[in-house]
Amino acid sequence: MGYLNNAVVTVDAILTKKGRELLARGDGSFNITQFALSDDEIDYTLYNPSHPSGSAFYGEAIENMPLLEAFPDENQIMKYKLATLPRGTSKLPILQAGYASIVLKQGASLAITPQTLNYLGATSTFETGGYTAQIADTRVLSNFTGVGINTEEAERLNNTTTVGTNVSKTVIGTSINLTGTTVNTLFGIRTQLQTTITLVGRDSGARITIPVTIQKVNN
Amino acid sequence: MSFKRFDTEDIVVSSDSISSPAWSNNQVTLTDFEVNDFQVSGSSGQYYWNVYQTGSADATAAIQFSIAYGHIAGSGSTPYNSLVPEKTPAATVYGQFRTLINGDENTDFKFGDTTPDSVFFISVERARFKEKILPGSLTLQLTTNGNSISLTDNSLTASVDIYKDSGREYLIYSGAAGILDNTNTVYGKLYPDIGVIVLNGDQLETSNVVGTIDLTDNPTPYTNPSVLFNALDTFTLRAEETLSSNYIFVRARNSEFNYSTNPSNITGSGELQHSSMIDTPQSYITAVGLYNDNNELLAVSKLSTPLLKDFTKEALVRIKLDY
Repeated sequence: MGYLNNAVVTVDAILTKKGRELLARGDGSFNITQFALSDDEIDYTLYNPSHPSGSAFYGEAIENMPLLEAFPDENQIMKYKLATLPRGTSKLPILQAGYASIVLKQGASLAITPQTLNYLGATSTFETGGYTAQIADTRVLSNFTGVGINTEEAERLNNTTTVGTNVSKTVIGTSINLTGTTVNTLFGIRTQLQTTITLVGRDSGARITIPVTIQKVNN
Repeated sequence: MSFKRFDTEDIVVSSDSISSPAWSNNQVTLTDFEVNDFQVSGSSGQYYWNVYQTGSADATAAIQFSIAYGHIAGSGSTPYNSLVPEKTPAATVYGQFRTLINGDENTDFKFGDTTPDSVFFISVERARFKEKILPGSLTLQLTTNGNSISLTDNSLTASVDIYKDSGREYLIYSGAAGILDNTNTVYGKLYPDIGVIVLNGDQLETSNVVGTIDLTDNPTPYTNPSVLFNALDTFTLRAEETLSSNYIFVRARNSEFNYSTNPSNITGSGELQHSSMIDTPQSYITAVGLYNDNNELLAVSKLSTPLLKDFTKEALVRIKLDY
């Protein structure tokens, strides 16, 4: 990985791991239909509303920053999305999953029902479009499904399996069900497996990432 | 709120033809020709010789092309079985390329009005010619005992493209880089779509630009591919491939994408860190994510520098996606 040359505007795109997987699947799921913008890498504490030279210079420390190249891991990029909100908005939507972290024993199950705060004038709401949940390493769960959104895509995602290495899996629902894997060989000499689950509001774009730990109980 | 759907005119597919040097390390012209002694003296050496751009023991050595010798009646190589003298590697090679190129086992290789007995086949390694040989880029210089000839194809001057079972066919005359000296003698044919050059062995031998082809059933040294190999002087060739790219136009209107969910921009409860951002929000675009209907991130593009976005600015980013 290296720094991009900031003398030119670079707009070449790379496929993510997920993109390559869906492209290889050849079932039409690789179909670009929408986009989002993000400001990963930006540190807004560098934004200086007290700049002595005036408002045109508030973002001076940000605007000249060289950016890193894109990462192909879809879990590590596009983290902080830009949102379209009415002018005068003072609070941005945030997600609450009810858990700061998730610890599951092998074979144990848990349901997550996320809520969105500060959205559409409500203090707390369940988004009608549901939530996208992405587990970074699908191998650590024997069951990872979304419920509550009964669309063809949601159904297809629930039934999608990828055999092999640690690829991510995405599901859609108002509630997300997780069950820890019972496969011992994944643990090797370790007593626990760790990954992350990322929840994104499909309407609000608000996002939260929660660490997930699966504890070994079988010998 | 964070995702915006593309309009149909936002995604454009463009196919561009790209040409590049054929040989390793982006060499346009090969001047050094090497073989692997183990290969040429082994069983496969009776059929073809692999030619490298440097000594085959060198770490950078890579096969550039192969030379095969074929004979219409099977002469010039050792029979598989002495009781069936006409069935030899030279017959096998001739029949193999005849089927590949002509698609008719009842035809022979003809160059103008002549049907030679001996034919040389140069098969360019697939990784070298990529998708196809660039017509008009061929210059093959052969030299033997002070006699020299430069060969090229007639693709730049041919009035019509001839199509065979193996795609386009161009005639090879004396000349260089597609410019013909004359069209008196057809020395061979170029099949750019399969990366094969067929040379009239009899004519090359008659012109004294290659050595003597040994038509016995025990040719020396090794096999007859060496006759063409020993005459190689310089070999210029370019490859051509078609790159299909998706051009995607990302349009952010003035009222869109002005608020950031970046944790350094908001407090834990979602409030903006800077009060000035409430009425005059500013965000900095650093990446564009391309998603499917399930919000799965398929491709991503990073800008080279943060792009300021606020209610007074619109952004148009053109993204090129190759796969």
